[in-house]
Amino acid sequence: MGHPTDVQLLEAVRLFLKEAEGELTGRMAFHAKVAGNALAIVARGQALQPDVAERAALAPWGGATGLCAGLRDGRLDPADPALLAAIRAAALARLAVDNPRYATFARLRERTIE
Amino acid sequence: MPGGAPMLDPATDGRQALGALIGASVGRPVALVNVRALSGGASSATWLVESDAGRFIFQRTAGDGDAGVPKLGVPRSVQAQVQQRAAALGVPVAPVIATTGADSPLGDGVVTGFVAGEALAPKWLRLPDYARARAALTGQCAQALARLHSAPVDHWADLSLKQGSGAELLADMFDWYLRLGVEVPAFDLAFAWLKPRMPSGPATCLVHGDFRSGNLLVDAEGLAAAIDWELTHLSVPAEDLGWLCVQAWRFGNWELPVGGFGTREALLAAYGGGVRADELHVWEVYGNLKWGMSCLQLADDHVSGRVPSVERAAIGRRVSEVAADLTHLIAFGEL
Repeated sequence: MGHPTDVQLLEAVRLFLKEAEGELTGRMAFHAKVAGNALAIVARGQALQPDVAERAALAPWGGATGLCAGLRDGRLDPADPALLAAIRAAALARLAVDNPRYATFARLRERTIE
Repeated sequence: MPGGAPMLDPATDGRQALGALIGASVGRPVALVNVRALSGGASSATWLVESDAGRFIFQRTAGDGDAGVPKLGVPRSVQAQVQQRAAALGVPVAPVIATTGADSPLGDGVVTGFVAGEALAPKWLRLPDYARARAALTGQCAQALARLHSAPVDHWADLSLKQGSGAELLADMFDWYLRLGVEVPAFDLAFAWLKPRMPSGPATCLVHGDFRSGNLLVDAEGLAAAIDWELTHLSVPAEDLGWLCVQAWRFGNWELPVGGFGTREALLAAYGGGVRADELHVWEVYGNLKWGMSCLQLADDHVSGRVPSVERAAIGRRVSEVAADLTHLIAFGEL
């Protein structure tokens, strides 16, 4: 039990930053808060693997590269429900890591594209 | 500044020059009691000036800005002209006292009268003291913008201002996106969705260019002044209205799309016609995408090593918020 996992190390540093934030003022305190939030993002990313989910959602479209290229050269239709559903899934996978408390996360997750 | 000499600091070695500038404008010698730096952004810096002739705000363009990041704003002298004419049209703005040129020791700056009010939107959006202000604000913003937009482009013809159609603005933004070399599916979706929808006609009015909750000074009665006019340019009215509805300025009040305090229906009704709901929707998508581009740019500043910063790195992850917002806007027609 004495060997902390990567996530436990991140959590330890996050707690330290929270403590340090109390000792700081102004810009430094703000940056300590931002740094703590950044570590929380990394910890969620370790648990949720958004790259895997994003790749799965976009694979039928040739991945992000194929999908973006198709929209840039007009081969893909931005109104295509299947395309929108894939972009929605990719966006949700990212936001679950980057800011799951963001209001649009729950709103987008609750609605399905027909 | 082009000469290469460092700009004077208004709080120390530039204090005398600033006092003389204000004195020349009010017509008598002015004693400065206190000069205090309020904030320093990437593109501009602001000081509160207390004197025996009252309080003033001095704002100037920051040195060279950050290396590699283009300066987007108009010169302060142009901004001051626009602000004065906006005031004459009935838009609440801080009164312009004096301007300094880019070649002056004080830099490219403008002195305005101090307007009392709360500038922190998260405060005036939440505190009970501002309930009456919030109730009045949608109508006041619509009226201020309607007055600003009422002047034809000829009214501003002598000023050097950027202008272009919506289609041109989008094309410029797409070039910017390609230069950053990233692939965000929801951003490409928004560019493709906007392309056939952006208007190709010429500019019809002057827009504030950055009219959002964070740039409103609010007192107990509502809108005290619209500040930060440096992104003003010639465009169409819906650009300002759409920008005001961008999700990022609602500060969590997502149910109230107009800056976190009002509804689109109330905004369009108070604006008094001339902007359709579908047109507002297109510019709202454009506005959210533009905010997302700023997040990408700030992240790139860090990732490229140009401006290493935990804040900019973290803002890069806000791209995911904008991606979700754009997907919701385009898939469901609202946000």
